[in-house]
Amino acid sequence: MGAPLSPGHGPGLDLFAAASAEGAWTVGEVTRRARAVIEAGLPPLWVRGEIADFTAARSGHWYFTLRDKAAQLRCAMFAKQNFRLAPPVDGVQVFVFARPSMYEAKGEFQLIVSELLTTDQGGLWKLAFEKAKAALTKDGLLDPTRKRRLPAFPRRIAVVTSPDGAALRDIQAVVGRRWPVAELIVVPAQVQGAKAEASVCSALNRIRRLPVDVLVVARGGGSVEDLWAFNSERVARAVAAMPMPVISAIGHETDVTLCDLVADLRAPTPSAAAEAATPDRVEVMAQCGVLGQRLARALRIASRHVVERLARTADRLSRSMDHRLEVSGARLTAYGARLDALSPLKVLARGYAVARDSGGQVLKRVAQLPSGKAFRLRVTDGEVNGRVQ
Amino acid sequence: MAEFSKQLERLEAIVRRLESEDLDLDEALKLFEEGVERLRVAREQLQQAELKVKKVLEIESPS
Repeated sequence: MGAPLSPGHGPGLDLFAAASAEGAWTVGEVTRRARAVIEAGLPPLWVRGEIADFTAARSGHWYFTLRDKAAQLRCAMFAKQNFRLAPPVDGVQVFVFARPSMYEAKGEFQLIVSELLTTDQGGLWKLAFEKAKAALTKDGLLDPTRKRRLPAFPRRIAVVTSPDGAALRDIQAVVGRRWPVAELIVVPAQVQGAKAEASVCSALNRIRRLPVDVLVVARGGGSVEDLWAFNSERVARAVAAMPMPVISAIGHETDVTLCDLVADLRAPTPSAAAEAATPDRVEVMAQCGVLGQRLARALRIASRHVVERLARTADRLSRSMDHRLEVSGARLTAYGARLDALSPLKVLARGYAVARDSGGQVLKRVAQLPSGKAFRLRVTDGEVNGRVQ
Repeated sequence: MAEFSKQLERLEAIVRRLESEDLDLDEALKLFEEGVERLRVAREQLQQAELKVKKVLEIESPS
């Protein structure tokens, strides 16, 4: 001992193993720990910078550097995130939404990018949109279970839109054709420009206090800037807070605004919104026809029961009458026989005769029959004339 | 004017009751008459020709 230690010296002594045993880390351990610390300490975030060293790998994954004047970051954007996007070129300004991490195999700090927006494609708008959307999502306002059902037969339909736009004309035409039973309450609002956000919010606020069954918020197509009021978080929150179901029809079918996302239903056009808000009266009329038929049929069936019951009662009544007639008939026959037995004809048949004078008076005594008196004698089979001798 | 959906709901209830229950004639007739009346009112509402449009201005004070 005492001699300086150097590799190759001191047979049998493995300095590397000895150092490890004293608590030195392996490279893998360090990168693994560093990755855990980074991922736990830094949430996903939006980062702004300039693209450099862009390469698209054969696998479809993108690798690039994001840099500004002060620093640079390695970035990876995997194929399943980038497949809809056009590859950016070096030097372009972008926003990325990314999760900070560590590429352990190379010991490199990197961003795992899930969204990439170039500023020249309206990236600033998109960034604001994504931020507001994230805030709304966090508060549960985009939850599909929040969506309310639309009323089947609305009495009052409110519309927030420009008072002189095509949207209002279209809505009025469709509601007038399909469901004029309803009342259309138009609350005009400025739908573009600097005052649009405040104007739309104020219109919504106005409707909140009205007895309205369904609300349509509409605006025709326009540029991203034109539709901006409907991408404002304030408008979106006001729409979400409406007490009645809301149908949103903003811009063209391809533009999805925050207002569309928080509404109970998104319609591709103002006309489609009006259709969704109303039943078709022709169909409802047919439905009424069916109900009328069922009503008549049901009454027929209900009254048939009653008629059948009446018929059964009548049958019973007449059956009991028949019985009584039979009994009476038998009794009549019996009386007849007894009457027959008492008939004077029966007495004559036994050999008695009855004498009557010309006036028909029965001659019962000798005094009534002086000599020479004419009489008629009734025997069982007829009458004969006689004279007393 | 009664709300259309209420009208239709009641009408459906009447038809179901008339179809499913063994009612005496008097009651059946009463239900039938009510049904016919509601049907008449509903049809009248549907035939209403013109949509009522009301403009509410933002500056208008809440009633």
